[in-house]
Amino acid sequence: MKTFKGLDAVSSWAGLAALVLLAVMPVVFTSNYLVGVLTVAAIYGIWSVSWDFMSGLTGRENFGHSLFIGVGAYAAGFLNVQFGLGPWWSLPVSMLVAMVFALVLGFPTLRLKGPYFALAMLSSAVIMQRLMLIFWEYTGGEEGIQDITPLIANHLHYYWFVLAVLGIVTLLLSWLAKSRWGLILRAIRGDEATCLAAGLPITHYKILSLVISAAFAGLGGALYAHYQLQVSPQLFAVVTSITVITMVYVGGMGSIYGPVGGALLLTVMTEGLRDFGEWRLMVYSMLLIFILFFLPNGIIAPVWHKWRHKGQQP
Amino acid sequence: MEILIYGAVTSAIYAMLAVGFTLIFGVARVLNLAHGSFYALGAYSAYVLTTLAGLPLWLAALLSIGLVAVFGILVEKILIRPQRESQLGVLMISLATALVVEQVLFLTFGSEYRNVPAFIDTKFNLWGVDVAGQRLLTLAVAVVAIGGLYAFIQFTRLGSAILAISQDPLAAKYMGIPSDRIFSLVMGISAGLAALAGVMAGPFLSVQPSMHLLPIVKAFAIVVVGGLGSIPGSIAAAFMLGYAETLVAYGISGSWTEIVSVLATLLMLVFRPAGLFGKRAAF
Repeated sequence: MKTFKGLDAVSSWAGLAALVLLAVMPVVFTSNYLVGVLTVAAIYGIWSVSWDFMSGLTGRENFGHSLFIGVGAYAAGFLNVQFGLGPWWSLPVSMLVAMVFALVLGFPTLRLKGPYFALAMLSSAVIMQRLMLIFWEYTGGEEGIQDITPLIANHLHYYWFVLAVLGIVTLLLSWLAKSRWGLILRAIRGDEATCLAAGLPITHYKILSLVISAAFAGLGGALYAHYQLQVSPQLFAVVTSITVITMVYVGGMGSIYGPVGGALLLTVMTEGLRDFGEWRLMVYSMLLIFILFFLPNGIIAPVWHKWRHKGQQP
Repeated sequence: MEILIYGAVTSAIYAMLAVGFTLIFGVARVLNLAHGSFYALGAYSAYVLTTLAGLPLWLAALLSIGLVAVFGILVEKILIRPQRESQLGVLMISLATALVVEQVLFLTFGSEYRNVPAFIDTKFNLWGVDVAGQRLLTLAVAVVAIGGLYAFIQFTRLGSAILAISQDPLAAKYMGIPSDRIFSLVMGISAGLAALAGVMAGPFLSVQPSMHLLPIVKAFAIVVVGGLGSIPGSIAAAFMLGYAETLVAYGISGSWTEIVSVLATLLMLVFRPAGLFGKRAAF
């Protein structure tokens, strides 16, 4: 699989243009519905890009990203409703909580080769969802936590805020992915034994990148909680993780910007299927199988890459 | 006494699930996240064949096990085999398959619980404890099935071929063992065993579309504790986990049982990643 270089002048201009276009779109069409769809799409973008930073670069697939998303959202909900803290506290605290979870799970599993990490993440997310239902006295059970205060009351302004966060997170992560750091992460994906032989503390790198990935997933979870104004155990479900993974695969794994495109594309596309909600998950799973078989490099990143280098390679 | 009997039944179900899961991993290096789906499909097809098609239960049970085994072989042949060179491809594809199965079940049967009929409805009194006959039968069936599988692997020619591949796939290939056909066979056995667990446990556990996830979590925990790829290890670990959960359920509260498996997994990975009976942690 190809890996893609991070930012250069053309890519950054294109990214900025896309961001501006996305920001202006709801103003032009003045549709509240569109604002809602795009806000969700931007939040999915944050989740996808954070998944891609860890799993896309190092090749260690995280099947329990919903765990970080969920604990971030629940942390926001608890702080806001149980402890009555202002909504702005949610953002740092949810990041911190997700990071702690990442450390606890990453430390035992990322030292090992093989599928332990992927499976342990999957199990933990499943168990967390069950715990949310079992300890319903504290977590609200099936209903979750209701009546969370919005971060910014105006929907359009909140959308802009989320979009800005998405832009900053993407920029930060692509910069990291392009730095020496990202190079090492990519090298780990290529050949762990060689990296070890070169004296790199690969376990530290893997755990740290999981912690970073979890922090932004938790942040995205908090943003989601303050958008929906409620959290439910459904956030922990495996389908949340699979949705994010599908978006990354559509966008192109390991490219950082691709998954953002994948998230926007898929959220807007499947919006049409929202009326029959059950079929939506079916579509995602089928799409994932299809992409794994026929387009292992994804759609968005390769197309962009090809278009970018058309002029240079006659 | 109650703990002894109920723990044994829980352990027996876990053992049926974990043995199939570890078998296909040991032989084909395939970590099959669709393993729980075979369990769910077993329970559902027993439900369909008895309640809707009106077949006698024993015939329905045999048919469902056969059907699920065929389904497992098809999944292996069509979906998993092309991805086999990449461990993560296998994980992705089998998880996607599991979700497709879950959605199909959801769309056909809805999310409400279904009742699978029991083989025996009477209750037995064992040493002062009332136990449903179905639970005892499950225990007996599990012992017979796993014992049979063990004998098959140890004492037949085909069994030696399976063992040979799990020990050294390349050498086995050079000896003329048709590894692809063996993979299909093992996948069929593994899926059939999971379906058997579903048919037997269906009457006293909840049968609904998302029932496939918890078995995967349990099977993973057992396999980590017992050592990936080791059948005796996973049987022993199944009993340890089964009893540990039952003890926690009786001693503390039923709510905490779910944490046992995750805690066991994490502690095991920290202190002894190879598992109790595994030879190596990494591969």
